[in-house]
Amino acid sequence: MEGKFPISETTNLLQRIKDFTRSIVEDLAEGRSPKISINRFRNYCINPEADCLCSSDTPKGQEILTLERKPQTYRIDMLLRVLLIVQQLLQENRHASKRDIYYMHPSAFKAQSIVDRAIGDICILFQCSRYNLNVVSVGNGLVMGWLKFREAGRKFDCLNSLNTAYPVPVLVEEVEDIVSLAEYILVVEKETVFQRLANDMFCKTNRCIVITGRGYPDVSTRRFLRLLMEKLHLPVHCLVDCDPYGFEILATYRFGSMQMAYDIESLRAPDMKWLGAFPSDSEIYSVPKQCLLPLTEEDKKRTEALLLRCYLKREMPRWRLELETMLKRGVKFEIEALSVHSLSFLSEVYIPSKIRREVSSP
Amino acid sequence: MEESSGLSSMKFFSDQHLSYADILRPHEARARIEVSVLNLLRILNSPDPAISDLSLINRKRSNSCINQGILTDVSYIFLSTSFTKSSLTNAKTAKTFVRVWKVMEICFQILLQEKRVTQRELFYKLLCDSPDYFSSQIEVNRTVQDVVALLRCSRYSLGIMASSRGLVAGRLFLQEPGKEAVDCSACGSSGFTITGDLNLLDNTIMRSDARYIIIVEKHAIFHRLVEDRVFNHIPCVFITAKGYPDIATRFFLHRMSTTFPNLPILALVDWNPAGLAILCTFKFGSIGMGLEAYRYACNVKWIGLRGDDLNLIPDESLVPLKPKDSQIAKSLLSSKILQDNYRDELSLMVQTGKRAEIEALYCHGYNYLGKYIATKIVQGKYI
Repeated sequence: MEGKFPISETTNLLQRIKDFTRSIVEDLAEGRSPKISINRFRNYCINPEADCLCSSDTPKGQEILTLERKPQTYRIDMLLRVLLIVQQLLQENRHASKRDIYYMHPSAFKAQSIVDRAIGDICILFQCSRYNLNVVSVGNGLVMGWLKFREAGRKFDCLNSLNTAYPVPVLVEEVEDIVSLAEYILVVEKETVFQRLANDMFCKTNRCIVITGRGYPDVSTRRFLRLLMEKLHLPVHCLVDCDPYGFEILATYRFGSMQMAYDIESLRAPDMKWLGAFPSDSEIYSVPKQCLLPLTEEDKKRTEALLLRCYLKREMPRWRLELETMLKRGVKFEIEALSVHSLSFLSEVYIPSKIRREVSSP
Repeated sequence: MEESSGLSSMKFFSDQHLSYADILRPHEARARIEVSVLNLLRILNSPDPAISDLSLINRKRSNSCINQGILTDVSYIFLSTSFTKSSLTNAKTAKTFVRVWKVMEICFQILLQEKRVTQRELFYKLLCDSPDYFSSQIEVNRTVQDVVALLRCSRYSLGIMASSRGLVAGRLFLQEPGKEAVDCSACGSSGFTITGDLNLLDNTIMRSDARYIIIVEKHAIFHRLVEDRVFNHIPCVFITAKGYPDIATRFFLHRMSTTFPNLPILALVDWNPAGLAILCTFKFGSIGMGLEAYRYACNVKWIGLRGDDLNLIPDESLVPLKPKDSQIAKSLLSSKILQDNYRDELSLMVQTGKRAEIEALYCHGYNYLGKYIATKIVQGKYI
């Protein structure tokens, strides 16, 4: 899992940046406009036929930027400015976030979104991941359980204290020596559920790794999960709230996000299973009626939009069914509602029994 | 506000003027709950039976006092002994009265099981057990603070989980009882997480050869300073609470300040009212966390970003204040504890209507931050 190419190719990237710039200068010297072709990517569409090519990571169209149109000129200008900063970062082996880059030249960049787009353009142009450009942001994820690894010289010995939360490393490409005795990886949406599992000493009786992105997962959490999947070949289960936001988080882990569609391979978790919570769980596990909150108008609109996504029709019809059930019943509930009768219900009954069922079903 | 004497009130430690919350072990917290139950029953069973009122320490500004350090540099806000009464017989406070008992009941059960619970889980439990009294998370949170004010023990002592938001990195060795010492300068790019368990923090041994403790408001800035190993150029320890400080991070800072009393504590925050509010919380405590917060006040000095740094940043990085910033500024300016030079900085923000983030310094290059801090320290430019 090293994006599109391993980190030792930094010198290669620097050379390619030089070549790219040289070709632009040559074009200008000969009085013609450079033509920069930027591919377009998407990870889903709302085509009702679902015979689109969204499942492959080939580009879906392209834009050609030239100096003949003013807005495109501006876009090329921003691309080159950011590229200059990226070159410096790579040469000095330093890292910066998108925000940091904006602040280096606020008068030129005028807005964060402009920097964001320039970075996207550069990644697509050079066919690499954002971290290959040394552009990283601080992460928010936590991990605990049967895992040991090293990052930038520091040992993370989660095995030593199974119920302590460790931060997910930001420089995921510097993670090495991953050792694990886990049987599966459990991804949870919320920090509070993570804390519940820690308090119940879930990892003592269950050989697993627990990860949370603390809400919508950031890039480093997704990359770390992908790395663990590739190195350890373990099944991955996802536990989210039974509401549109939870489902969106599940979809992001599994199918990636539209914003980073150009880098889908290193960011998604294929074969991730949806452990819960399903709408049907509220009856099976006797969730009290007061805990079933009504879907707001916003929730309903969100759910309808989610149902249009082609990958649900094509790859996960069962997920789609559950989502339709949620919309039909018009209620949502959080994971905590399952623990109302007994605090340790989640750790002792719900999760283990669901995992056993997943393992035994075809 | 004088409270009436006699059998109709319950009192806990009211001979002390400074109201504070203790950190208790589970069995001690259970004991306090049991005492309050017994008191209620005793008065109910007496020859002149009555349902006692609950005396909750008043968590309003009117009850907050300031202790100005005279022989020390530390001043803090604390809550005094003014009480509000919650009574079953008063229609306005009857629901509050019942809510407090319901929460105490659940906390007792949790403590008995030797477990912890999140406030969200508490909400769902109460929603199912007592739907007539609890309909929102805010009501639950407020009632929890009421119980803290009644029993005078910390929220953590009641069995409510504390999340750990703080990070520390730098020239510091931490040793938890029974474990190996951890070197906070070899912590990768993310720093060492400060646990939410205050008992554990209290028993952690600290060793350091740093010369400064530097509080950093934002996670991104902390990460930059740690990645650049700035703590090796300037011998220091970096701490961040990733925003508004939680109790555990403040507790940790306080422990460091008592363990290493000669180390100046410097704060690096954004130049806006919210940043100054964060600095002041570390420095003085806060009314909202009134009962728990006073004891963790530290002598924090403001190193940056300050008004006289504005010539270092480009004009585009000075952005207008948000409405929330103006509110915070007003609230801070009206506080009696704010010293004059902080007041001047705040007035400048309000007058110009502008604010700036620390990242604005990156226009000089992303490794400028270390130089900036070093220059300020060498010139002694902190207030």
